[in-house]
Amino acid sequence: MNKVEGGRISGRQLAAMLILSRIVPITIAFPLITGIEVPQDAWIASLLGMLLAIPFVLLVVRLGLRFPHKTIIEYSEILLGKCLGKLVGLVLVLYWIHTAATVARALGEAYTIAIMPETPILVFMIIMGFLAANAARNGLEVVGRAGESVVWIVLFFLVLMFVLPFDVMHFRNLAPVLSRGFRPVAAPMGTATSFFLQFIVLGMVMPYLNRPEDAARFSIYAVLVSGLLMTSLTVALVAVFGPTVSGLTMPAFSLGRMVSIAQFLERIEAVTMGAWTLSVWIKLALFLWASAVGLAQLFGVSRFQPLLYPLGAIVVAFGILSYESYTHLQIFHEFRHFGIFSFIVALGTTGILYLVALMRRSLSPGVRR
Amino acid sequence: MSVDRALIISALVIFVMMATTITGCWSRREIDTIGFLMAIGVDEAQEKGKIQLTVHVAKPFAIGGGAEAKGTTEEKPFWVVSSTGHTVFEAMRNLVSQSPRRPFLAHSRFILIGEELARRGIGDVIDWFQRDGEMRRRAWIVVAKGAKASDLLQVEFELEPMPSEGGMGIVMATRTELSTTITDCTLHCFLQQLEGEGADPVATRAEIILRPQEFDIRGELRREKVGASARITGAAVFKDDKLVGWLNKPETRGFNWIMGQVRSGIIVIKKPGEEDRFIGLEILRARGRFRPEFKDGRVSVTVGIEAEANVGDVQGFIDPLRFPEIWDSMERRMATVIKNEVMAAVAKAQELGSDIFGFGAELNRRDPEKWAEIKDRWDDEFPRVGVHVEVKAKLRRSGLVIRSTRIKR
Repeated sequence: MNKVEGGRISGRQLAAMLILSRIVPITIAFPLITGIEVPQDAWIASLLGMLLAIPFVLLVVRLGLRFPHKTIIEYSEILLGKCLGKLVGLVLVLYWIHTAATVARALGEAYTIAIMPETPILVFMIIMGFLAANAARNGLEVVGRAGESVVWIVLFFLVLMFVLPFDVMHFRNLAPVLSRGFRPVAAPMGTATSFFLQFIVLGMVMPYLNRPEDAARFSIYAVLVSGLLMTSLTVALVAVFGPTVSGLTMPAFSLGRMVSIAQFLERIEAVTMGAWTLSVWIKLALFLWASAVGLAQLFGVSRFQPLLYPLGAIVVAFGILSYESYTHLQIFHEFRHFGIFSFIVALGTTGILYLVALMRRSLSPGVRR
Repeated sequence: MSVDRALIISALVIFVMMATTITGCWSRREIDTIGFLMAIGVDEAQEKGKIQLTVHVAKPFAIGGGAEAKGTTEEKPFWVVSSTGHTVFEAMRNLVSQSPRRPFLAHSRFILIGEELARRGIGDVIDWFQRDGEMRRRAWIVVAKGAKASDLLQVEFELEPMPSEGGMGIVMATRTELSTTITDCTLHCFLQQLEGEGADPVATRAEIILRPQEFDIRGELRREKVGASARITGAAVFKDDKLVGWLNKPETRGFNWIMGQVRSGIIVIKKPGEEDRFIGLEILRARGRFRPEFKDGRVSVTVGIEAEANVGDVQGFIDPLRFPEIWDSMERRMATVIKNEVMAAVAKAQELGSDIFGFGAELNRRDPEKWAEIKDRWDDEFPRVGVHVEVKAKLRRSGLVIRSTRIKR
């Protein structure tokens, strides 16, 4: 076995990293709610999207449990043969690189739009790319521990964010429920799920769990925690902004700006930015790590560490090149683009791998390694 | 060895990054290069199709530093300046050619709109205020009745050197003490009502009071004489983004009764039995809600209001101890006054054809299917909505005396 990474992480660290990864597309940009047709039903889309993610996560976990101590890159080669397996692995690695690039770009965009409009976006992207690559270079253990300590801060910030603007919340904005049926809810629901599909990175992380049988439990915790957070944030956003919510560039950021308690505690958008920056760091590190280890295993490199700085640079450049503007980034994350892309890549690959695994087992029950 | 080298290299990288980034921000702004805008006024410019922007900038050096210097300066602590442009943003940038300090918006509390522009529609000017990151969505929208916003920005208040602070003080006081200001007149709410189905926006209405020149005030502030002041006189009613009319003070309170936003205020009733004398009641707390319903093809709204008040001021003589019927009679009259205010607000809104209460929106929340049928003809339907008001008025206390002083005659 090509053992490029020797770290061990606990179930809690896994959950922390997954939660932070899912929180990234809700703390600043909120693709689920941007451009939604019927904003008052957004929470339903969010809840259903979360529930849909659970079977997918279970699928990835069961696949992983079938091949203990092997990453998804390794067992796709076992299942599909050298050529096809490497192709699937490459698709997955590119998917992670694309995810990382998007995250890096979104971080830069948020900083340029909200805080420092005159600073070139590259400054933020390079700094974050460097920091994340640096963390990932030290291995999964470091990323996991950082995630475990950061997640509490981020959760606290997020809870602050959707509790403090209580004085401008009008829950009547949430009515009527499903006034136009389920049809307008379907696309936002798919968007919510499509970000959960990034949890396919579990396939990389699972073999390094100290107790792989914990994977299912903790990844479902992660889905529930981040999904419920997303739902409460959706409720708060609609309660505060009413029908105007679907036009906001950065809904959660605008929510932070609405806080005004006793003319004293006002405009806590810096808190939002803090939560966002921390979670972006972990997500970027996790996906950079996954791409680096994936690449190393694909091409039989014995160490993944040397790949990380170049990968970081590629991710930053890719992030710049992928989207011409923030508007393009937002358009891309609508369901008809990113949703379908994610479903094909993540659900497609795991689905194929799982089917092949089932067939192989029924054909030759003796072979199980 | 290799670990040492990695350490040295990373230390170097960090050092270089810190040296380039921490020493100073790219877009730093020192406080003495910033002009704090306290209020922004928008009007139609004289040139056709252009917008005139008038802002009210704080002059920190004229506010005074130490305690003894405070208020003794002869200078006005603010500066009013105008510029024009095709869009609000352009006008704001054009301001820079006249202002030595860069305009900074985060402290502005008012968006003032001139009546002419408001009547033409403010949809085209309001976008920038929500798009720009410096502006706050909690800024109040005020329409200058019979005046331009630039005139309204020239007013001063005696007790506050800074007119925006004075204006804020008045807005807050009328909101809580008189309930004749609409509580949610902020940009945030205005935008929601612009977009939401079955609701039209309202804004605060302000009027300029001209002071006669010979009237000499010798206040603490030895500024120039206050030439013009302003007062809040109710609400501006919009239909979509166009100003269509005004609510006066009682009508505004009527609106607040329906919306459940009445905080306090005085209800004046005629004294039972002595119709030329009055009794002032102070509102303690109030609840208001409304329920629109479909009844055989027509929409009717039931407004329920519960109000509690104290007896605050009595002309003539009352003695509720010996004549308890007067208590009930005062309560009934209080209920009538409230009902009249509510009906006045409804009548005005129906006359103007503007659903400022959000009856349609509430209908949508309760019965979205019926609303879908009716919403295209809601503009015709709204003026015909029947409104029934049920008021529960309670008098709680009567101040430090229960019986008036009996004046011997």
